[in-house]
Amino acid sequence: MTIDSAVSAPLRSMPAASPRARAKGKGRATTAIAHLVMVILSIFCLFPVYWMVVSSLRPPNEIYDTSLWPTGASLDNYAYALKAIPIVRMLGNTLVVSTVVTIAQLITGLLAAYAFARWRFRGDKFVYTLVALTWLVPFQVVMIPDYLLVSNLGLLDSLSALILPHLAGALAILMLAQAMRSFPREVIEAARMDGARSWRILWEVIMPNLRGTIASLAILVFISTWNEYFWPLLLSRSPENSVIQIGIQMFMTSEGTAWGPLMAASTMASLPILFIYIVLQRQVVQSFMKSGIR
Amino acid sequence: MSDLAMTASVPPPRRRHLLPWLYLAPAILTLGLWIYWPLIDAFRLSFYEWNMLPTAEPKFVGWQNYENIFALQKFWQSLNNTVIYVVGLWPLAVLLPLAIAIYTHDLPRRSRNVYRAIIFVPLIIAPVVAAAVWRWLLDPRYGLVNEGIGTLGYRAVRFLQDPKIAIWTIIVLTGWKLIGFSTLILSAANANINPSLIEAARMDGATRWAVIRDVRLPLLRSTVLFLTLMTILLGAQWSFSYIQVLTGGGPLGATTNIFYILWDFGFSSLSVGWSSAAAVILFLGFGLLAFILFRLIDRYSFHDN
Repeated sequence: MTIDSAVSAPLRSMPAASPRARAKGKGRATTAIAHLVMVILSIFCLFPVYWMVVSSLRPPNEIYDTSLWPTGASLDNYAYALKAIPIVRMLGNTLVVSTVVTIAQLITGLLAAYAFARWRFRGDKFVYTLVALTWLVPFQVVMIPDYLLVSNLGLLDSLSALILPHLAGALAILMLAQAMRSFPREVIEAARMDGARSWRILWEVIMPNLRGTIASLAILVFISTWNEYFWPLLLSRSPENSVIQIGIQMFMTSEGTAWGPLMAASTMASLPILFIYIVLQRQVVQSFMKSGIR
Repeated sequence: MSDLAMTASVPPPRRRHLLPWLYLAPAILTLGLWIYWPLIDAFRLSFYEWNMLPTAEPKFVGWQNYENIFALQKFWQSLNNTVIYVVGLWPLAVLLPLAIAIYTHDLPRRSRNVYRAIIFVPLIIAPVVAAAVWRWLLDPRYGLVNEGIGTLGYRAVRFLQDPKIAIWTIIVLTGWKLIGFSTLILSAANANINPSLIEAARMDGATRWAVIRDVRLPLLRSTVLFLTLMTILLGAQWSFSYIQVLTGGGPLGATTNIFYILWDFGFSSLSVGWSSAAAVILFLGFGLLAFILFRLIDRYSFHDN
């Protein structure tokens, strides 16, 4: 969370570029090269996504066409992909898992953060440290015991197994705890004077004031759960009970790859995320930058 | 810092002790059940030989799994590759973004916002989707990249099939997801530098390069260190999905790393003991590395506020 302080301030108030640097002739050449650098970087970053969409829209017999522009758009690849695997069902599953995980992490995060921010109690530092240190445990290290746990619970090949380990997340707890610590104590004092219990103070006084942090977290958790691949990979057996990331992988077999449908499935899997990004671009960027790298 | 903590309310003492734990319970239960208990279980399983079948009985073998792993050439190859991943990723995740962030600092705000919106996109694209698209772009026969190389008159490059090239391909793909994000982080930190410091240096006749070297770089040090730390600790982990989807650790183990080998032992060879022993080694090594790095960062990072 070190990055937080370094990043959040300038995001809100980027100082305008120094006018002196731009006015001079030499400055103009530098600016032109700077534009060039950014354009190249932008193409590198965006082109694969563009190519995915363009390829997905090509008629199947033109899939090896290399024209950079789509020629004669067709939805045949989409039709094929939708018939080959239950994509709609998988997208629905992904939506359910991501939504439940997001809401659950916000609730458990708010509760835990409140405990840390409101009270001093024996072991509080210890528990807080344990929460903060969870990122030191790579998922690959605990995957077998986790897998065995799911299997012992009889939950293999079920959506609940995808959700359960994510009911609480360290990032949500820590970000909310940080936000709550800067909450003015006078407001809580006043609420307490009015006879409000801790439960009501949390939901009626504190939570409404943390809307920004909660929105950021919701975006972060939703996107990362939507994109998660490794845990579903361990658990999925049947396509009907799996998520879209597994569906994409099904088009890449050792016998060969159906490129058109693969690109169509990939596009369908990305559309919801890209839609969120287009609508909430500023907030999405800020959320990710505030949280550091995930 | 935690001024809220002092405002503890006055209900009867016993309830007061219990209350925070009630609020913490859901989080503690989840993290305990799915992270910390499994971690302990991984230690236990590393001393057993078992193929995960419910019908088979786990057999205690002591340190045998560790001895076997250390004798395995594949394990050392994966460790070696892990280092290559981190070292190869660093220029893409830190150095290049740093140069770009400093160089494009003077761009007008409008266009900078557009670039920023674009270079962020790879980060939110799912790793599997990214792997699928790059597999398509880099296909030796029909991929666009090799079409381009062919047009220039060169022979097709087997990006993911050539043992010498494959690991670098995976590194660049992992970097693709990070480069824009790192650039944004560093640009933000760069824009945060007090303009009067730069102005003062210019007044003293400092050249553009001198300003960068003596003012900007020292002030960006903590951000650079942070990104470096993340790359060292998580770089190899980020490449997992690409390895799993694109190369399966091959060709000839050329793209395997320590994270992938855990998966390979566990779910391809179905050897719980080997995978757990490797997991324990990874966890301890990872923890030690993190401890050392945090110590270093504490000592060398620049505290300007």
